[in-house]
Amino acid sequence: MALRSLNLPGVGTKYEFETDKGDTVAIFFTKTGIIQMYTLQKGCHTPSAAEMTPVEARRLGNILTGAIIEADQESVEIAFSALADLRITIHSYIVPRAIAGKTIEDLRIRAKTGTTVIAVSRNDKNIINPPPSFVFETGDAVLVIGETDQLKLFEREIMVD
Amino acid sequence: MEGIIIALFVCLVLALVSKYLTIPAIPFYIIAGVVLGQAGLGIVASDQLSSFFSDMGLIFLLFFVGLGLRVEKISENRSAVLTSGMIDLNVNMIIGFVAAYLLGFSFVASLIVAAAFYISSTAMAITSLIENRKLMMRESETIIWLMVFEDLAMIIVLALLSAGNQNLIFFAAKIIFVLAILYVLAQYGKEFLVSILDRDDELPVLFTFVAVITTAGGAELLGIPDTLAVIALGAAFATTDPDAFEQHARPFKDVFLVIFFVFFGITMNLSGNVSISVIAIICLLAVASKLISGVLTGIALYGSARSGLEIWANTIARGEFSIALAVLYGSPPVAATIAVMVIVTSLVGSFVAKYYGSLSRGFAGRSRHHGPPHRVRAGH
Repeated sequence: MALRSLNLPGVGTKYEFETDKGDTVAIFFTKTGIIQMYTLQKGCHTPSAAEMTPVEARRLGNILTGAIIEADQESVEIAFSALADLRITIHSYIVPRAIAGKTIEDLRIRAKTGTTVIAVSRNDKNIINPPPSFVFETGDAVLVIGETDQLKLFEREIMVD
Repeated sequence: MEGIIIALFVCLVLALVSKYLTIPAIPFYIIAGVVLGQAGLGIVASDQLSSFFSDMGLIFLLFFVGLGLRVEKISENRSAVLTSGMIDLNVNMIIGFVAAYLLGFSFVASLIVAAAFYISSTAMAITSLIENRKLMMRESETIIWLMVFEDLAMIIVLALLSAGNQNLIFFAAKIIFVLAILYVLAQYGKEFLVSILDRDDELPVLFTFVAVITTAGGAELLGIPDTLAVIALGAAFATTDPDAFEQHARPFKDVFLVIFFVFFGITMNLSGNVSISVIAIICLLAVASKLISGVLTGIALYGSARSGLEIWANTIARGEFSIALAVLYGSPPVAATIAVMVIVTSLVGSFVAKYYGSLSRGFAGRSRHHGPPHRVRAGH
C-alpha cells in the first residue's frame, strides 16, 4: 500500500493510496471544509465519489478502524505509529443497574481488566479522571480507555446486567 | 449608500438562486449591475463609497492571488506546469489578440482583450472540479496547476500594463525593492505575525485588513500600482501562515468582491460603439480557443484528445481576472466586450462541465472499442 499526499493550490490536500489488489482510494480535504472520497476499482475508468462533512468523515474513519459504533456506545481507536504501532481504544458505555451504587475501587476495574475509566458524563456534566471513590449511578455514560481485548474483558466482567 | 444596499440585496437573492442551481454567481452579479445601473434602469449609480468598496474587492482578490503563490511548490512541478501553461498562454493570447485586432480594436485594447480572453477563472474552475466530483481524475491536477500558471502570467501582464510610460527597469527595480522589503519583514516578523494570527479576539482580522489597505495606500506613495503591491504582500505573507490569512481575509474578499462585480455592471457604458457581432465572435472564439489549447494540452501530456476535452470543459469560464483587467485598463467598448465574454463563457463553461460527463458517456458508448482504456478517467 503506497500512500501519497499532495497539496493542491486553491483546492486543499489530496491523499491517495493503492491497495494491494490494485484498487485506488483518493481523499480530498478541500478548503471549503468538505471532504470528498473517491474509490476506483481496478480496471474501471469511472471512480465513484462521496462527499462528506467533517463529522461524517470522522464517523467513517471510526468505522474503518474497526470500532463498533452504536447510538450510545461509541469507540474510537487511535494508532500511534511512533510508538511501535500502539493501538489504543476509547469506548463509551452506559452504566447498567447492576453496578449502580458501587465505586471504581469496589469494582476493581483496573486490577480485573487493565482498563481505566477516564471520564463520566452524568446529566450533561462531565467528570474527567474520576477518583477511585467515584460512585456510579444508573445511566451514567462512562469513557473507558484500554486495548481492544481489555475492553472486551471490561464489557464481560464489569458491564454485567 | 442606499444604492449599495439595493445592489447588495439583489446580489444576495441572486447568490441564493445560483447556489441552488449550482451555477456560477459572477455572471448574475454583472447582469444585475447592468440592469440596475446607468445602462439599464438607472436605479443605482456609483459614488465615492461604492468605488472605495469596489477597489477593496479588487485588492482583496489580488491579495488572495499573492497568498496562493508558493514558489517552491511551483518549481517542484515545473515541467508539467510549463508545458500546459505555455500551450494555454500561446494559443489563447494569440487567438484573442489577432481576433480583437482584426475586429477593429486598437493595439493596446487588443492586448487587454487578449489577456482577458486568455485567463480562465480560477475560482470557477476549482468550484467546478469539486462540485462535479472530478478531483480524482488526472486532468484535475493539470487544470489546478494551469490556474496557478495563469495567475503568474496575469501578474506579469498587470505589471507590464501598469508600467505604462515609465522606465521599465526602474519600475521593475521599485517592485522588486518593495517585494524584498515585504519578504524580509515577513521573515523577521514571522513569530510576531503567527502570535497575532493565533489570537481569538479581533486582532487577527483587524491586522489582516490594515496590512492589506496600508500596503495598497503606501504603494501609491512609492509610485507603484496598489494591485502589484498587495500581490507582493500576499506572497510575503504566504511564507508564514497563508491559511490563517486566507481565513481572516475571506469575509472582506467575499463581500467587497460582490460589490466589485455588481458595480462593474452598474458603471458599464454600453453607448460605446461595439457591434453585437464583434462581441459574439469574441465569445465564440473564447469557447473555441480553450478547446484548441485544451486538446493540445491533453495530447501533449496524456496523448489523449479526450483528456483535452476534460481540461476544456473546466477551463472555459472566464471570470474575476478578466473583469479586473477590464476595470483597470479597459475603455468602455473593451469593458463591454469583456463583460459579455465573461457572462457567456462562465454560463457555457458551467453547463459543459456539468453535462460533459453524460455527453461523453454517450460518445464513449459508440466508440468503446477504440484504444486501450486509461487507468483513471473520471467524470463519465
